[in-house]
Amino acid sequence: MSSTTTAQEWLERLRHLPLEQPLRLMNVCGGHERSITQAGIRSLLPDMVELIPGPGCPVCVCPEEAIYAAIQYALHHPVTLVAFGDMLRVPVNVPKGEVRSLEEAKAQGGDVRPIASPTEAVAIAAAQPERRVVFLAAGFETTTAPIAAMLAQGAPENLLVLSAARLTWPAVAMLLQSDTPGFEALIAPGHVATVMGPEEWSFVVERHGLAAAIAGFSPESLLAATWSVVRQSVEQRPFLDNCYGELVRPGGNRRGKALLDEVFEVVDAPWRGIGIIPASGYALRGDYRRHDVLNQLPDYAAEQRRRAGEMPPGCDCAKVVLGKIYPIACRLYGEACTPRTPVGPCMVSDEGACRIWWSAGHRQHST
Amino acid sequence: MCLGIPMQVVAIDQYVARCAAKGVERDVSLFMLMNDEVKVGDFVMVHVGYAIQIMTEADARSTWELLDQVLAAEPLPNA
Repeated sequence: MSSTTTAQEWLERLRHLPLEQPLRLMNVCGGHERSITQAGIRSLLPDMVELIPGPGCPVCVCPEEAIYAAIQYALHHPVTLVAFGDMLRVPVNVPKGEVRSLEEAKAQGGDVRPIASPTEAVAIAAAQPERRVVFLAAGFETTTAPIAAMLAQGAPENLLVLSAARLTWPAVAMLLQSDTPGFEALIAPGHVATVMGPEEWSFVVERHGLAAAIAGFSPESLLAATWSVVRQSVEQRPFLDNCYGELVRPGGNRRGKALLDEVFEVVDAPWRGIGIIPASGYALRGDYRRHDVLNQLPDYAAEQRRRAGEMPPGCDCAKVVLGKIYPIACRLYGEACTPRTPVGPCMVSDEGACRIWWSAGHRQHST
Repeated sequence: MCLGIPMQVVAIDQYVARCAAKGVERDVSLFMLMNDEVKVGDFVMVHVGYAIQIMTEADARSTWELLDQVLAAEPLPNA
């Protein structure tokens, strides 16, 4: 289809598709969800087409244990703790009165600094070679490949990594292998596919027979992908469409993937509130393990604690992340949990569905 | 973290490019694009300080328009 097709024209084409039964689409990228919500795309779709936000927020699924460990490093060791800004306000489950976020650890005197790029972590470590710098590294492939680049290029030895990095597709695979995936077509993430290549989403079509399309971040690209998967479903001819050809090329960013393979190995890994997802986490490999925080500091993540690894009490973030409920169906949404006083990570992160819905003006609590 | 910002390469010093977007300049790592020939004047998609792909000027400009809309729509956290 022409890249100059407007959003209005895509909507018109969508309405003309002879869809006979409801079709649930899942998107798995916080950037997609932001565009969809801010452009009001959901309300413009045909009634039979439902678009559900799924696992697309790395901050939201960052293990509670990893954040707890980062807080302990900042409080009890002479280190500088760096993390992407979103991570600083995510609460952990600790008894009342104890430090429950990196932001609180900073207020207690911990040397906690938000960063926007791995290159800043390198600069901070290089500027103070006698002091350990611990990088709480949460993110999906788009963030982890730059972290791999950072280490492969040669990072200072005092830069230690606490890896909470995750792969995107295994969460989708886990949902599809469950009894209740909750969707019949997939909008695949544009920048993950830019780095990893479109091919890693083929399993949705080949193994599960579902329609799939990779989308960019404009309403036009998202609607092109929506139209594609609806048409594929109507015609019962699923294939993996690429509606973000501007950036997504066969094989992806080969250099980025080679760096990931060189620095990290893929391991079974916990997702907050969800549990272990097989082959879904990045752990340092081989000689790069010398940058593993556990080589030099205690393993606080392994501490036995009440509610370790869980979402905060009463918080439905895990259900939101898995696309089981919409943000407004959470009991806490807009009541106890707002961006000013967030309870769950989905209300903290710019990529969390709750935060995105709140920012777009959704105030109605609904069950 | 996944949105990414298109930037134009202004100068290159080994693996680091000085890049500009809408009047703002910053250093961007080209370490993930070493297999590609990035030249001064090219547009790249930048993610957490690293260029992840080369893109056309037209695609860069349409993404800038999209980012303007996203940023305009985002109220302050305490709003």
